[in-house]
Amino acid sequence: MSKKNVALTSSGAEIRKKPLSLRIWNNRGYYVMFLPVLIFVLILYYWPMLGVRYAFYEYKPVGTPTFVGLANFEKMFGTNVKAFMTAFTNTLELSIVRLLLTNLSAIIVSLFLNEMGNLFAKKTLQTIIYLPHFMSWAVVASIFSLFLSPSSTGLVNGMLREWGILGDADKNIYFLANSDWWRPIFQGINIWKETGWGTIVFLATLSGVNPELYEAADIDGATRMQKMFYVTLPALGSTIITVLILNLAKVLNMFEPVFVLYNNAVYDVADVISTYTYRQTFAIALPNYGYTTAVGLFRSLVGCVLVLLSNWLSKKVRGRGII
Amino acid sequence: MKKKALSLLLASTMVMSLAACGNNDAATTDSTSNDSASTTEKTDSSDAKTDAATDSAAADYQHSTLKMVVNGTLTATVDNGQADFEAQWEAAVSERMGYAVDLQIQQLDHSGYTDAVGRLFASQDYPDVMIMSAEQFKQYAPTGILWDMADAYANAEFQNRITLTAINENLKDKEGRLYGFAPTYGNGCVTYVKKAWLDALGINADDIKTYDDYLNMLVRFHDEDPDGNGVAGDTYGVVAAGFLGNEAPYINYLPEFWQDAYPAILEDANGVWYDGFNTQETKDALLRLQDAYNKGAIDPESLTASTKIAREKWFSNDQTGSSGVFTYWAGSWYQTLTDNLVKNEVDSELVQLAPIEEVAAIGGYLNREAPVWVIIDDGDGDNAREQEIFDMFIDTMLDGDVVQTLWTYGAEDVHWSTKAESFTTNAGTDSAKEYNYEEGKFHLKQSPNDPNSVWKKNHLDPALVVSPLTNGYVDQSELAAAGNKFFTDNCIDAPSSPTSETYTNESGTIYDAKMAVVTEVVTNNGNVDDAMQTLYVDVVGATIETILAELNAQ
Repeated sequence: MSKKNVALTSSGAEIRKKPLSLRIWNNRGYYVMFLPVLIFVLILYYWPMLGVRYAFYEYKPVGTPTFVGLANFEKMFGTNVKAFMTAFTNTLELSIVRLLLTNLSAIIVSLFLNEMGNLFAKKTLQTIIYLPHFMSWAVVASIFSLFLSPSSTGLVNGMLREWGILGDADKNIYFLANSDWWRPIFQGINIWKETGWGTIVFLATLSGVNPELYEAADIDGATRMQKMFYVTLPALGSTIITVLILNLAKVLNMFEPVFVLYNNAVYDVADVISTYTYRQTFAIALPNYGYTTAVGLFRSLVGCVLVLLSNWLSKKVRGRGII
Repeated sequence: MKKKALSLLLASTMVMSLAACGNNDAATTDSTSNDSASTTEKTDSSDAKTDAATDSAAADYQHSTLKMVVNGTLTATVDNGQADFEAQWEAAVSERMGYAVDLQIQQLDHSGYTDAVGRLFASQDYPDVMIMSAEQFKQYAPTGILWDMADAYANAEFQNRITLTAINENLKDKEGRLYGFAPTYGNGCVTYVKKAWLDALGINADDIKTYDDYLNMLVRFHDEDPDGNGVAGDTYGVVAAGFLGNEAPYINYLPEFWQDAYPAILEDANGVWYDGFNTQETKDALLRLQDAYNKGAIDPESLTASTKIAREKWFSNDQTGSSGVFTYWAGSWYQTLTDNLVKNEVDSELVQLAPIEEVAAIGGYLNREAPVWVIIDDGDGDNAREQEIFDMFIDTMLDGDVVQTLWTYGAEDVHWSTKAESFTTNAGTDSAKEYNYEEGKFHLKQSPNDPNSVWKKNHLDPALVVSPLTNGYVDQSELAAAGNKFFTDNCIDAPSSPTSETYTNESGTIYDAKMAVVTEVVTNNGNVDDAMQTLYVDVVGATIETILAELNAQ
């Protein structure tokens, strides 16, 4: 019997493995069950990937795609480099800041919720802060556009004027069309919308903290704040890092929140790769899908690097990877 | 055993569902492919066949399903009587063609039409006929996807009735090919002013003759209290869908500010193409916009507003935050804007502002290049299918009688009627209006989805059409008629859009760069020369040079 057909049990005992074909036959029911899934994944995930070849073609809505080599990439890093790099850096900056801010706010809110003694109040508050997550971005954008309107009917500008922050000589602030204001507003809206949802995983972790740790801290005379800092927060440490690492791989997937809130006045701070690709694809009469595929391919490559980086970080921190 | 049976059952269910999806896809692909676009009895035109046989085949060709893609210009929408329009069109055209024709209308979102058409074409989902804006048409014409209808147009049944021959003659390229057909001329925008606001501030519209007069009016609309709510400063002079439009003629929503500037690539009197954006005229216009913006004369939301938002803000029930001036489409929109003001219980009388001297100096308001209907060429080298589509769709569209009436006014007894009837709009309000018609009298009915407004038109504006109706059916409101007359008396044709490969590829990037300049100068008080250099010349200057070189080499 060759070694390749021998396996070790957990107790170190050697057992003979049956030939692969026989194992497949013995488990044929499972393989048959798996087959449709395999076909499904191949058709819906891998077959479309063949489309990346169009990054090397000039591919317009009409006519036959023409192979152009690296011309689309030359355009991306040549004539269109300013717009493309603006979108690329904006994507990273907006996504990473969003990731940090929404998680930070979720941690803070989780800590406070965890400290609440009144269960009814806690549950009610949790429900209220979860709600914005279920609103579509289109609705959120409409609401905030009304609130932040620069016209005389805008709620926020009206309040600023009422409180004397805006004087008679001052113009109303167009928050969503001002490069200085757009990012703070965008991040603020994200915090409002996603903080509640982000608390779920942290609250779940906190519910698993051993109460004896708190009792020991009580015996040591720790104050409530000290318990929060020296017991609760360290208990969350692993979860915080896990959440950050898992989300790091997705930072380039930002489209909808930006698309519904940005406009051409703030492209310099708001345009991200997805919105740039969208405009290059759909805002002109005869787009070159080859170019936008090239942009998408570049984004995927960077995303792939981020996934590998996340995996490496995950192995370092948690002892196991994410892929 | 049970587990195995269950696993087999689940597996076969998934396989079946996948197979079903596959079959469906295959069927869809077949039915929508360009080569077989909606063709039911397509004749084989192989080389082996003789010319006579091909001619015979062409004569026998029947195109029983017509796929049409259209934007919001077909006002008989799904919730506004489209099914009746479709049924009556099919009946009339089937009778004309001698076989049953099924019309399949795919009406795409008006504001996202260019995007949607791009998506359709990318998925090889080609219609038989579709409408295109002039700029879109210019981009697609050289691609070979559009059928050259020059011969069909020359032999069209409506030829001897055409009154505006130049419209379609001008669409022909240098070789005389005609890839699109414009059933109407382009139309354009005129400036409307709320009469009540003028009266409230004691302004006479006839006194608004120069830009200074115009700006002064706008500033007063902002600084004073034209809506009479007791608060000054909560209204604006003018609202627009962007300081610079994203389709030709770009400047038509704020002509008083742009005046002699045309911020696009255009051709001079000597036939030389140049960049109209990087000119002194455009810089002056941007400074006028900046000045007016700073004075509160322009609603700041104009920077980002869509046409829908700008419109609704203007005729909103709550006039706080609204504007006194709105430059919008002429003709039937004069009536539509008035109707909306009435519906919102706002003073509805509007004044059409005669072009101020600076606008009159260039000839008046801009008449845009007309949208066109195009026929998608299946590329098989045989014109039978395309000629049949022309005959059933374009030739009938201007038949002067039944079909043209459908395109002009909509479906009989749904949008219009000749039967005796009486109805009242806005019953029970101060704006109530009674309509009484005798038997045999052609008249428009209440809109199917809004009994408080009278239907205005369907796709063709009777005042703009290149070949008028011959059946004597006329029912245009006084306002719409006045609006059309006012526009035709005060308009000039907009410059032609360019056609160049680089322009086609880079028009999106160029527009973004232009908007960056406009925003920087108008809303951020930026220096116009610096903005022009850093946000435009440095970003797309080389591209513009390439485009101009291509255009001037043609």
